[in-house]
Amino acid sequence: MTKKFIGKRIKRNEDPQLLTGQAQFVDDVEIPGMLHAAFLRSDYAHARLLSIDVSNARQRPGVVAVFTAEDMGDDWQPGPPLVSPPPTAKDVIFYSRRQVPLVKDKVRHAGEAIAVVIAESRYIAEDAVEDILVELEPLQAVVDLEKAMEVGSPLVHDDLESNLAAHLFQNKGDYEEAKSKADLVIKRRIVLDRGAAAAMENRGIVAHWEEKSQHLTIWDTTQAPIPIRNGTAARLGLSEHQVRVIAPFIGGGFGPKMMMFYAEELVIPWASKKLSRPIKWIEDRRENFYATTQERGQIHDVEIALSKDGHILGLKDVFLHDTGAYDPYGLTIPLNTQCHAMGGYDVKNFATEVSVVFTNKTLVTPVRGAGRPQGIFIIERLLDIASKELGIDRVEIRKRNLIPLDAFPYEHKIIDQAFAPLILDSGNYWPVMEKALEMIGYDKFIKDEQPRLRKEGKYVGIGFAPFIESTGVGPYEGARVTVEASGKISVATGIGTQGQGHFTSFAQIVAEQLGVEVDDVRIVTGDTTEFHWGTGTFASRGAVVAGNAIHAASTIVRKKILELASKVLETPVDELELEDGLARVADIPNKSISLGELAILANPLRGAVEPGTEPGLEATAYFGPKYGATAFGTHAMILEVDPETMMIKIKRYVTVEDCGTVLNPLILEGQIHGGVSMGIGNAYYEQLHFNENGQLLNASFADYLIPSATEMPRIEVGHIETRSSLNELGTKGVGEAGTIPVPALFAQAIENALYNQELEILEMPLSPNRLFELLSEEKSR
Amino acid sequence: MKIEGEYTFDGPREDVWELVRDPEVLATCLPGTQSLHLVGENEYEGEVNVHIGPIAGVFSGRLLVSNEVPPESCTLTGEGKGKPGFVNGTGNVQLFEQGDNKTLMTYAGEVQIGGRLASVGQRMIDTVSKSMIRQGLGTLNDAIKARVVARTEAKEVEYIPPSETEFAAAVAKDVAGGLLSSKLLPWLVVAVIAVILVIVWLNVR
Repeated sequence: MTKKFIGKRIKRNEDPQLLTGQAQFVDDVEIPGMLHAAFLRSDYAHARLLSIDVSNARQRPGVVAVFTAEDMGDDWQPGPPLVSPPPTAKDVIFYSRRQVPLVKDKVRHAGEAIAVVIAESRYIAEDAVEDILVELEPLQAVVDLEKAMEVGSPLVHDDLESNLAAHLFQNKGDYEEAKSKADLVIKRRIVLDRGAAAAMENRGIVAHWEEKSQHLTIWDTTQAPIPIRNGTAARLGLSEHQVRVIAPFIGGGFGPKMMMFYAEELVIPWASKKLSRPIKWIEDRRENFYATTQERGQIHDVEIALSKDGHILGLKDVFLHDTGAYDPYGLTIPLNTQCHAMGGYDVKNFATEVSVVFTNKTLVTPVRGAGRPQGIFIIERLLDIASKELGIDRVEIRKRNLIPLDAFPYEHKIIDQAFAPLILDSGNYWPVMEKALEMIGYDKFIKDEQPRLRKEGKYVGIGFAPFIESTGVGPYEGARVTVEASGKISVATGIGTQGQGHFTSFAQIVAEQLGVEVDDVRIVTGDTTEFHWGTGTFASRGAVVAGNAIHAASTIVRKKILELASKVLETPVDELELEDGLARVADIPNKSISLGELAILANPLRGAVEPGTEPGLEATAYFGPKYGATAFGTHAMILEVDPETMMIKIKRYVTVEDCGTVLNPLILEGQIHGGVSMGIGNAYYEQLHFNENGQLLNASFADYLIPSATEMPRIEVGHIETRSSLNELGTKGVGEAGTIPVPALFAQAIENALYNQELEILEMPLSPNRLFELLSEEKSR
Repeated sequence: MKIEGEYTFDGPREDVWELVRDPEVLATCLPGTQSLHLVGENEYEGEVNVHIGPIAGVFSGRLLVSNEVPPESCTLTGEGKGKPGFVNGTGNVQLFEQGDNKTLMTYAGEVQIGGRLASVGQRMIDTVSKSMIRQGLGTLNDAIKARVVARTEAKEVEYIPPSETEFAAAVAKDVAGGLLSSKLLPWLVVAVIAVILVIVWLNVR
């Protein structure tokens, strides 16, 4: 069968609706009698709650209820653990401390919710928040990761002996042995700081408990509607079928919306049930800076051992990871960092040890990249330094260490974020890197252009950064595919959608199997009434895991169609084809029957159905990969640094991705563009500045700078396809690929641009200001 | 945040000391002050109404005067909180005779801020608080001059403190001059912090 839809540049089915403002987001939900919620949040990062008086707030006209932790009684319970520590790893220390609905005893980060006001309007609710008198005794805040681990540091959780949240050691081979044979050992300290996901749409939730039907409907900006349904039912003592969770269109997820349950997700459905009224809460931007999870804070002490010909003999990484005030997301991020610190290189000896640290800051859960950018930054920085110290060209030193084609599947002998062995399933790394270098004209730039531009007094640099991305992890997703009487296809899957183009790429998979047009396939995502098995949209897994489940269901439906058509058309199955919405005889195209007619025949109103058969042309199927599929890519760029202002201009930006089978290049490029934009923010603009009291100092877009159109370069995207052997479609994920290598890329390109300075970049994010400081520090040394 | 600086008053040290320890005088120098009461020995409580730009609300403050050496020096410890956030600080104030009826005040303090003030106003706080201190001390100096004139010329001189609006406008002008950027002006709102700071430093009898 020739591919008619998969791999085609098809415009997105959902765009007309989105672009004309007709798509439903959570804040578009309006229900008669709906109330509005506002939260009282702590100004302090660490404080004991001494007393709280809500009587004035309750008396304000228009206020329906005010709830504190005490008012929740036995229903006050911390959120459930989202990810448990890896059961397969040895000697893991893990203290599970989860976020609470409302502060009961102690505030653990600025912005933590203390009380909620439910009122007739958001205006009234906000005013009533001001009426609440709360007495907090400020405590010394735990902010700095290293100080947090010192003896005598104040404790985020008083019942623990220290601020250590978790400790995990992973070992491959024997690093010390490798080091003893090394010609060169490089040691560095690398510091990575926090950023926000800054999705265009903040979080929001509408909960509607209907007393008469005893049914709860929740609209939630979550990436994981099914776990939210199951967890909410359990908390409220309801059957899972009494709760429907809808994750409608969402203006960007990027990881933080995979976090669950947020305090608001614990409180709003509870309050709706308590009051038997629909309640809406929409997060404002400043709340988003405090109450929505963030990521990337780590401090690494790294060591790499090399032979003089540039081969990596071993790598050692001891690091601290900031988890914020609680750790519901387990060890996902540090595990990802560990699994990416070796990049796509053949590293035989690796020792990695992480201490996860509680701090009085907003919770940390994955943000697009999820620990991977940190890992890639480490290995790429070390190779850049090694290249200089050994006098080996930076392309060459990487080429010598890349995992060779015949080594796949390549087992790393450590565990990954899914607690499965880290196995790189497939890859052909050198051609990807080579293509990126070719596209950007690496050799020509180095030989001709750069010397010429430098003579003109310009500071232009070129950089490239290869990376791997573990994607498409388990456990599973499912889908139901149905041929309707109209001949159109209806598909439901459990994962939610936040702008990934699922309505198109999934439709392409179905159209491919069933011989219909892409816009004849209607996709429903993220509505638990439509499909209630699955986990969520995260870890670049939608196209891999849900995509293959949809593919599996489609192939079963295809078989059903063909078998029924075979009977009707009195032709053997292998002589039939599905084209243009018809089942037809390949050699006699006008001998055919439409899928709609077949659907009606498969669901008769009278007559007898043969025993053992099912009605309809419908199938439900699931897909769970053995382990995640690992994608690979290389980004390259040319940038110019203004030596006065340290502002940068990106002159060229090239990405080459190998994410296995490409479903839709247009959507893939969109994913990459968005990812690169976040990466550029991570590298040069976006940093959350907390002061020593845990106060966030730049909680607005006036001070927290996200790249805008003027900072974005034109991105040239190249593809190479190495199918994954782990699934039928051969797909790998790509959602986070755009973000992962960018900080490493920036560091290399900036150093290359400022060629006459002794500059070694060992931290991210940078900013023009920070780069200026680094250069001043170097000069004064 | 560290704040330090100096200011020269046009009056003898005793007059300056007396005025800065008089809550009523201070309240007029800090427009928006709704109340300032002595609630214990050397302990004051006060409320400052802040309504500048998008940040509005009442700051409730409390401050303690210690290590008092009249008319030379004292230590001030203050805390204030309200809708826009909170402020806690400690500072030392010293007065030096400069002769010719002049008095030099030096002040140095460490201030912690939080909430909206910190998260949204950080960029402007330094500049605006310094400007508010300058404006507040300038107003106080006008009061001192009026008092000195009244005494030396043995006649009543009317001292008219600035209104809340006039004060805000003066600070805005000062800040704009310092930053050469009018688009930052909305942030000036943050000025509220300085109101509390000035109370902390000056509210001495």
